[in-house]
Amino acid sequence: MTRNLLSVRTGPAAGAGPVRRPGRTFPSRRGIATRARLATASMVLPALALFVVMIVIPVGLSVYLSLTDWDGYSADPGFVGLGNYFRLFRVSEVLTAAVTTLIIAGAGTVLLNALGLGFAMLVHRKSRLNSTFRAVLFYPHVLSALVVGFLWSALLGTTGVVNTFVTEAGGEVLPFLSDPTWARTTLIGVIVWFGFGVNLVLYIAGLQTVPQDLVEAAQIDGASRWQTFRHLTLPSLAPVVTVNIVLSLVTLLKTYDIVVSLTGGGPAGSTQTAAYLILSDSFGNSALGFGSAQSVVLMVVTGLLALTVSRLRAGADEAVAK
Amino acid sequence: MSRSVSRRLVAVATAVGLVALSACGSGFEDSSDSGSAQADGQTGEVRVLVNVTTNLTKEFWREVVKPFEDAHPGVTVKIEPGTPSVKEALPRLLAAGDAPDVVETLNADKTLAPQMLDLSDQPWVKDTPLVDEAEVDGKTYSVGVGVQAQNLVFYNKDAFAKAGISKAPTTLDEFEAALGKVKDAGYLPLRTAGGGWATGTQFAELADATVFSRNPDWYADVLAKKTTPGQSYLPILERYKSWIDKGYLDKNALGLDEKTAPAHFFQGKSAMYVMGSWFVATADAGKPSFPVGVFAAPPATGDSASAPMGVSVAMPYMVTKNTGKKELAVELVKYLTTDKAAIQKQLRQDGNFRKGVADGLSPLGAEVQALLEAAPKQVPHPEGLGSVRLPAGFNTELNKQVQSLYTGKSPADVAAGIDSWTASH
Repeated sequence: MTRNLLSVRTGPAAGAGPVRRPGRTFPSRRGIATRARLATASMVLPALALFVVMIVIPVGLSVYLSLTDWDGYSADPGFVGLGNYFRLFRVSEVLTAAVTTLIIAGAGTVLLNALGLGFAMLVHRKSRLNSTFRAVLFYPHVLSALVVGFLWSALLGTTGVVNTFVTEAGGEVLPFLSDPTWARTTLIGVIVWFGFGVNLVLYIAGLQTVPQDLVEAAQIDGASRWQTFRHLTLPSLAPVVTVNIVLSLVTLLKTYDIVVSLTGGGPAGSTQTAAYLILSDSFGNSALGFGSAQSVVLMVVTGLLALTVSRLRAGADEAVAK
Repeated sequence: MSRSVSRRLVAVATAVGLVALSACGSGFEDSSDSGSAQADGQTGEVRVLVNVTTNLTKEFWREVVKPFEDAHPGVTVKIEPGTPSVKEALPRLLAAGDAPDVVETLNADKTLAPQMLDLSDQPWVKDTPLVDEAEVDGKTYSVGVGVQAQNLVFYNKDAFAKAGISKAPTTLDEFEAALGKVKDAGYLPLRTAGGGWATGTQFAELADATVFSRNPDWYADVLAKKTTPGQSYLPILERYKSWIDKGYLDKNALGLDEKTAPAHFFQGKSAMYVMGSWFVATADAGKPSFPVGVFAAPPATGDSASAPMGVSVAMPYMVTKNTGKKELAVELVKYLTTDKAAIQKQLRQDGNFRKGVADGLSPLGAEVQALLEAAPKQVPHPEGLGSVRLPAGFNTELNKQVQSLYTGKSPADVAAGIDSWTASH
């Protein structure tokens, strides 16, 4: 039997009749309401405090610092108003990094979800072999992103394993990391290899919620595998697709670690992402005010994109809910 | 917003950042007795923020400060690694009011100087390397252990012999001719790499021999806008581009990790490797199968003998202004930069040099020492030093611009790009 908070405090169970104990009075309605509010507050306040300390204050201070010329050392940052924001549009490397970040986020999101869903379709059924495949496919994500970058750098670098094979076979060195277009493509490939395990797990979870009776009914009605997937499985996965797209997008817009260890932002700055540039400007160039302005813009853009995707996907999500 | 409020906000921001970062692991921290000592004059704990690298390990730093602790009963030196680097850790610690007493690695500049103790009144600082050049507005804030020579070309003596080169090049024309000869002998003439610094650093180490020969006050003139870095570098950029086109430099060099480049040189595949004197320690440890020689980067006008040598301060130390252990911290920095055994230990560990300290040098190290002592002048490099310093980030930009020679930009565009960046910072 579950008893709510009020029933505990008002004493007797239903049907037992009022029992007035000597020296004890029942609390008034107002007292009960106050106690309920206090109980609610005691449960909400710790979470709220954490939220304020971990999210609201840092974000607020980032916004404040973005309006200053703080170099990271002085105790008195000078107020520069929106100067750092106007500067964003004048510095060409910020725009280049923004384009690179959007390319990585766009292409990466598509590939992460295509691969995640594709492999999920292959291994979502329960079997010992599929469990092994799932572990293997998820394994790259267990590694540190920095290690992954170094690993692929050793494989694809000019004197790396792949190019050693190619040149010993008489071929020309493949410029995986030395040509800007190749380097961006390689970077996206490595990011996708590293990250699609998360999408895979989410899609597997989603596929296990697709009603099997509907699938069987469709097959009995003569639907092909593609038709079943297109008109039944995919619509049923709509909420999972939305979550996956938003998660991928947000993660990719913050790409940093793999850039550091795989390309170092090169060649010639062609793989510098927004997050890479923020760190480089903030600490390398002692311009934390300018770095904060870039962070704020990245945060706003990320939020807007995530919100836009959620809105665009709202129709599909609601159809599943109905 | 008032100053005190600003201070508090910055401190709170940093504290919040620290809370978040603490979850990411803090690296190691020396576990010496840290709680018992009191901040009372000549006893207690001194916190030193250092860079920890493969050469400068935790054990190395402990060994360096151990004699100081032994000579000062009741004093503990706490080694704190800058995580991920001193440059990134220091702003965080300063803003959080948790600054160390001594900071290693960084040279004082106009940004750092207000946070550091003025050491000008200490008589011993006058004997430390490049102390005049490191002054900020006429005051000494950082003192170094030694110098790192920058304009050096390490070469494979076997490759030179095979190519019929009997004498190290002393002019840029001779150098270019040597590039052609070693290529004909089957070697990649010059090894460089991609990444965040190697391409630009190597270019500057070569080019500055010419730039400093023409104008030893180049940094001051750039800051005074009497000249621009791009236009100064343009003739060398044109040569460098022609070297890429002729195959003297690997056109796919940017795909090589900068940490792998020395190994490639040690394998005997390339004939020359431009690098600072710290490469001596790498080469001595790398034990290549061929003898390694070194010569000063040759200038386009005059010869190596008349060219100034670009140098940087090795292992600079500063005392933070608000330290509660001022006497102790100053005493420790004095020990680190003037005690003969401490100097020698630090110099040899990281391929650093100091005039008059030649004990324990390897043959390659002795060659570098001779080049340093023979140089008619030493010019701070890279980015300058003290008050005469290019905007922070110049080297990163130079690296990016030089890399773009490999990806299709013309030397003129690269020079314009360097100048544009400099003008906007």
